[in-house]
Amino acid sequence: MTTTATLAPVSLELRTGPRHWWAGFRSMITWHLVSLRLWLVLLAVVQVLSGVGFVLGFGLFFEQIPLSVTLFVSTGVPVVNLVMTGMVLGPQLVADQKASHSFDFIHSLPVPHTASAAAWYVVCLIGGLPAVAVSLAVAVWRYDGLPLAVTPDVAPALLLTAFTGTMVGLAVAHAITSPMVTRLVTQVLVFAMFAFTPILFPVEQMPAWLGAVNSALPLRHMADMVRASLTDLPFENLATSYAVVGAWGLVCAVLAVRALGRRR
Amino acid sequence: MTTTTATLTPTRTTLASWLRAFALNLRWEWTGARQWAGLMVVIQFMMGVGLAIMYGFIYPEITPSTAMYIATGIPTLALIPMGFVMIPGGVGEQRLSGSFDFVWSLPVPRSAQICAMFALYTLLSMPGMVLALVVAAWRYSVPLEVSWLLVPAVLLAALMAVAVGAGMAFAITHPMVTNLISNALIFVVLLFTPIVYPASNLPDWLQTTHEVLPFAHMATVIRAGLTEGVVTDVGTSFLVLGAWALAGTAVTGVVAHRRG
Repeated sequence: MTTTATLAPVSLELRTGPRHWWAGFRSMITWHLVSLRLWLVLLAVVQVLSGVGFVLGFGLFFEQIPLSVTLFVSTGVPVVNLVMTGMVLGPQLVADQKASHSFDFIHSLPVPHTASAAAWYVVCLIGGLPAVAVSLAVAVWRYDGLPLAVTPDVAPALLLTAFTGTMVGLAVAHAITSPMVTRLVTQVLVFAMFAFTPILFPVEQMPAWLGAVNSALPLRHMADMVRASLTDLPFENLATSYAVVGAWGLVCAVLAVRALGRRR
Repeated sequence: MTTTTATLTPTRTTLASWLRAFALNLRWEWTGARQWAGLMVVIQFMMGVGLAIMYGFIYPEITPSTAMYIATGIPTLALIPMGFVMIPGGVGEQRLSGSFDFVWSLPVPRSAQICAMFALYTLLSMPGMVLALVVAAWRYSVPLEVSWLLVPAVLLAALMAVAVGAGMAFAITHPMVTNLISNALIFVVLLFTPIVYPASNLPDWLQTTHEVLPFAHMATVIRAGLTEGVVTDVGTSFLVLGAWALAGTAVTGVVAHRRG
């Protein structure tokens, strides 16, 4: 007796189109939120503690902290919170995944790479925005008379800052193939972010050449955008800032998506 | 038929055999550390110099007193990573790769092993610290008045950091937990510890906390060796540092002696 097994016909057509993209985008968000739930909880705690820590800790460096200094710290910490997940911790997570080989599995999922990158951006926003709110609230509570003036620009400023931070991180994580190098680059990045970029203090307090170097890099402009949207401080070249940050975000997004699409 | 009897006489540690074990362990540790000794010096130097420069950016105006506090606090900051980050990290890696059990099963007195480890890493903390101090003093043009007190101050501060870091890494078996504590410590030390600013900036409860913790005392004794008239009481600070160093050594010793 012969048994014949019939296989249901499988459609081998390439699935494309907006609907497929949207389905992939949503599945990847769910995927990340579920698989990283512990990591995300720990991340939220670390983000809130470090944000609040900077806001409160800076006050201790001064006998009497000037209001202008508090304003810079309070409006700089949100930038740190926003880019920390995407630019620093994200690449380290990918490096760990590469080292443990779970990255290959995620990479093989049938989702468009742009949808995958966009989903990661949403996850990074979820990892950053609550800390931004808490840091600002603590700053208002700790420093009496803090002259904050929130404008509607805060939405594009925060969203673009997080976008570019995440894309820089994705580029670092994927365009650099060695996990060791990725870890090293992120560690240098985080140190440089605190020590050599005018995020927590005005650019006038650093040497002019270092200010000039920062004009070509995105972090200083991110700080200007966010600070302009949260205060009355005058910023002349805000359009330049948006352009520089946007350009960095786009270039890194292209690099990251191309690296994601590379076959090994 | 001949019977061979092997007699196992327990080895007795004499001063000579202990010293030989110490020397051998020093070589053993150095061979292991040699490949990343350069990196250690670089990290300490970067941490020290990088922070020295960064603290200068924070202040709108740097007064002579601020400059003095930063320049004389930097050596303390440069000593912290060796004990509180690199040693716990190194022990954690040894645990993950399994070489930790091997190293501590070697037939040598544990005390010789621990002394060799502490001596080597205390000495390895020195070059990065000296470099950072030189750069900081130059950057802030602070005239330093170096006294003989600096030698015991720096040696005790470095030894304390190594001993407490080792004690922590030995007592806590999970490398992840040690890593978390290391990172939290660095954060607390950089922001909430009166190393580059006077303790009077802190609220009372935090000042009291730092009377018990070792970090502010490290800064006090090293500052006393670099200035004149700024620090008045170093006796208490030396005692607190000594107590922490002993506690760290004791924990390391107890864990290393434990069998199983």
